[in-house]
Amino acid sequence: MSDCAEHAPAAEQALAQVPPLPRKIVAGIDRLNEWVGKVNSWLVIPMVFAMMYEVVMRNVFTAPSIWALDVVMILYAIHFMLGSPFCLQTGNHIRTDFFYHSWSVKTKAMVDLLNYIIFFFPAHIIFLDISVAYAWKSFIQNEVSVTSPWMPIIWPAKMALPICVALTLVQGVSEVIKCWYRWKTNEQLWNNEQLGEATD
Amino acid sequence: MDVSNEMLALFSIICMFGLFCTGFPISYTMIFSGLLFGFLGIGKLVFHLLTIQFWQVMSDPVMVAIPFFLFMGYLLEGAGLMTRLFRSFQLLFARLPGSLYATISLTGTIFAAATGIVGSSVNLLCIMAEPAMRRSGYDVRMGAGCIAAAGTLGILIPPSIMLIVLGPIVGVPITDLFTAAILPGLLLSSLYIAYSLIKCAIWPKYGPPLPPEERPTNMLEVVQGLLIGALPLAVLIFATLGSILCGLATPTEGAACGSFGALVLVIAYGKFTWKSLAKALHSTILLSSMILIMIASCNFFGAVFSRLGGAVALSNFLLGLDMAPMLILALICTIIFFMGWAMEWVPIVLILVPLLIPVIDSLHFDKLWFCLVVAVTLQTSWLSPPVALSCYFIKGSIPHWTLSDIYKGMFQFIACQLVGLVLIIIFPAIVTWLPKVMKE
Repeated sequence: MSDCAEHAPAAEQALAQVPPLPRKIVAGIDRLNEWVGKVNSWLVIPMVFAMMYEVVMRNVFTAPSIWALDVVMILYAIHFMLGSPFCLQTGNHIRTDFFYHSWSVKTKAMVDLLNYIIFFFPAHIIFLDISVAYAWKSFIQNEVSVTSPWMPIIWPAKMALPICVALTLVQGVSEVIKCWYRWKTNEQLWNNEQLGEATD
Repeated sequence: MDVSNEMLALFSIICMFGLFCTGFPISYTMIFSGLLFGFLGIGKLVFHLLTIQFWQVMSDPVMVAIPFFLFMGYLLEGAGLMTRLFRSFQLLFARLPGSLYATISLTGTIFAAATGIVGSSVNLLCIMAEPAMRRSGYDVRMGAGCIAAAGTLGILIPPSIMLIVLGPIVGVPITDLFTAAILPGLLLSSLYIAYSLIKCAIWPKYGPPLPPEERPTNMLEVVQGLLIGALPLAVLIFATLGSILCGLATPTEGAACGSFGALVLVIAYGKFTWKSLAKALHSTILLSSMILIMIASCNFFGAVFSRLGGAVALSNFLLGLDMAPMLILALICTIIFFMGWAMEWVPIVLILVPLLIPVIDSLHFDKLWFCLVVAVTLQTSWLSPPVALSCYFIKGSIPHWTLSDIYKGMFQFIACQLVGLVLIIIFPAIVTWLPKVMKE
């Protein structure tokens, strides 16, 4: 934290040299995924209450609901899947920083940039293709959960998979732009990794 | 190309570790290596494995407990409940030499039973213990070691997120695992307390009794403090864990009730703000996304790896070494210990343990016992210089403590850990006794 504070003026100057278009793209993507993540984070609250309702109804009134667990499951799938791009943005997808943490900003940026282009994008574009087909099949069949007596439609949860991958890809674009300009300016630009306080 | 699938499995592991070294996010590394080598080995089947493995995590009713327990932990953490707890224990033990060490260990233990997040309590313990330690002239080294040890108990004492992740991999019910972890957790925590109290009784300079102004004026104050500070939290923990362990609620339901209870507690103590709620929710989504996405990606990689025959080859290799089972266990512990330096527990548990399952099976190890040995080893690894996670947490919270002091303190408590680990290995009953009793 103190490290970032010292570099802040230099980083701000360097940021001013970045052309407006990439700056706007980064800001737009980051805002989108931050918003998606933060709105999604509230899903835990209805999950808690639905689960509580089920426990109380079953143990106190011996009238278990047929829907509570299904609702919780669908919300849960959406919750953590759509939080993933936000996680990438804030640097919470953990990495092995055994070597990484001792590298310079320039080296980190170049290594990350290559990793994104060579490994991240091809894998995720394939993943997007597969998951769209997967969720689409579920949607047109109007697939229901067969393991539950309530038999809820299951595709809203499955839709979370392609949406997550798509948003992750979009976030990847933002990360690549960040890496490129970090490499060019040798400054830790867009240091929003500090936003994520959740590194347990 | 006539490369055997076992060779591909080997290459995939090499590729994976190579990418780890570049510091690329571990989940994405797993997805990439799985896709590439899976496609080379088993063709288009790999695409189905990817979606199936993700969907399995998305529809796993046990994994829902992870966001719930995280939410519960973050709520309690942000509400300053731990300060109250710490203060009441401090007053209770004030006259005892080494009282602060006992206070740190007990607070750490209770918070481990409430949160299940590793390391989060290290920061809080530092902030609370450091001023009191300075005022009372405590030994910095021992204090640092004690904080690190007690703060990392969260990995062991239920509801530990790590046990929830470990259970399905090894194939034991979470409830059994939670029950099994209680005694080892308490064993370690009492080892810390015993060690520090005995040491301070012999050499009071390490931990003198607290100065008079830090002592309670009358017993009523102590009782009051405990009633207000510790009792509601204890009730919440017992209700959550108790209902899970007695089979009244599934771990998921228990976790949801725990979150609800934590919310009620926070409101009752007048600590509720929308801002702190939003902060707890944000931390929850970030950490649960990280863990769950990684579980899905590691399961995918694991599925590809065993499909390529890698798991069988590896276990044949380990068994072919023809070593005594205890030697293999020691080898496994050593590997886990060293991996704990470079990685967090999530990848270690998700990558290494599945590979070892065939070995565990053919050596007829008790699975509950094995899980607990892994957990204690991992916790020890966090206490071990030169790359101890908890050390950085302490240094971050109290910058004026030198690294060498922190390390020297940690070594003392690593000794406690090793005693505990050896006890668990020699007497598996410490692990298996309670689950057996609970079942009857």
